[in-house]
Amino acid sequence: MSDGIKIEIVTPSEMLFTESVDMVVIPGSEGFFGVLPRHAATLANLQRGRVDIYNNGSITRRFFIDGGVADVLPERVIILAERAVDLDAVSVQQLEEQAVNATQSESSFVNAVKDAI
Amino acid sequence: MANLKDLKTRINSVKSTQKITSAMKMVAAAKLRRAQETAEAGRPYSSRMQQVISGLAANASKSNAPELLIGRKEPKKHLLIVISADKGLCGGFNGTIARQTRQEIKRLENEGKSVLVFMVGKKAADNLGRDISNRTFAKIENVQGSNVNYSEVERITDKILTSFEDKQIDQVSMIYNQFVNAITQNVVVKPLIPAHVDGVSEKGTVNYDYEPEENELLQLLLPRNLTTQIFSALLESSAAELAARMTAMDNATRNAGDMIDSLTLVYNRTRQANITKELIEIISGAEAL
Repeated sequence: MSDGIKIEIVTPSEMLFTESVDMVVIPGSEGFFGVLPRHAATLANLQRGRVDIYNNGSITRRFFIDGGVADVLPERVIILAERAVDLDAVSVQQLEEQAVNATQSESSFVNAVKDAI
Repeated sequence: MANLKDLKTRINSVKSTQKITSAMKMVAAAKLRRAQETAEAGRPYSSRMQQVISGLAANASKSNAPELLIGRKEPKKHLLIVISADKGLCGGFNGTIARQTRQEIKRLENEGKSVLVFMVGKKAADNLGRDISNRTFAKIENVQGSNVNYSEVERITDKILTSFEDKQIDQVSMIYNQFVNAITQNVVVKPLIPAHVDGVSEKGTVNYDYEPEENELLQLLLPRNLTTQIFSALLESSAAELAARMTAMDNATRNAGDMIDSLTLVYNRTRQANITKELIEIISGAEAL
């Protein structure tokens, strides 16, 4: 769509998602907030939670992030997250494999992701 | 003149060395591709983080900005994070890091600061030996290559930040090899605390809404930025190490080839000389009859 908003979800190891979408809902540390095109420039700290991508009025992609920061400009959003997973692409089994020799913060993230699936 | 058997042994041993070096070169080249991809995949995150921090720093009030950003008034204790390789056989890779570290320690001590070092990787620590024996803050190994792991780096950062808050250290900088391309690595000294902020980006002019407000956000982001910087330095250094090893092993293979050529020449000359000598002996023996 021509008047969508460009969203990038970036983790230290990869560029997880970059696409133009209708709306995105982000888990800000002071509450969830939705971002539509022409949103006011905002820099927000994020908490652990779900990032929902909306297209044509319904959720099309779901991601789970472990806190981070969102840099919002009227035409684009950059979400910097230390850990992030695509909820539709990940399986419980994969997560369990990951959790085998994980640190405490990692395994608590993995558990949170499991709940979110 | 060396005898033939010795020469043959020599040639064979150089040949097997050449096999090893050329295998190492190929292994390094294969690993380098992957390491380079990882290092490049990590760049968007660190560059965007840097952008965000620069924008914030430009807008934050200077008076009560966090110490992580503007530094302490009279810095006395400096922590130097030195990133080298765990393995050798990679040309000047570890040597240049060690040399730069020595210089840096000298420079800081001339400024009247006391220096602590945080050694990442085994080789520079071995090389510096006595220079750092009573300055060591911590030593870790085996966190590079495929073992680079964000959670591990978070643990390192936590340790550094705790010491910073306890005033055991006032400043932090990091020495590592930056990957430029397959044949070039640059030794970089990068300040971490106080944070190095690039010139005000064009972002400085945008009026951001902050959530929470600037200084609080900076308090949250600066530690993360530290982790990101160390993480990306580890990735860069791993790629640079493999590149250095590839080049070094390529040279070694070529040198071994040259050596084999010249030894083979000597071998053949000796063999001919022996044959000639035997013939002369036979002929002169026959003539004497």
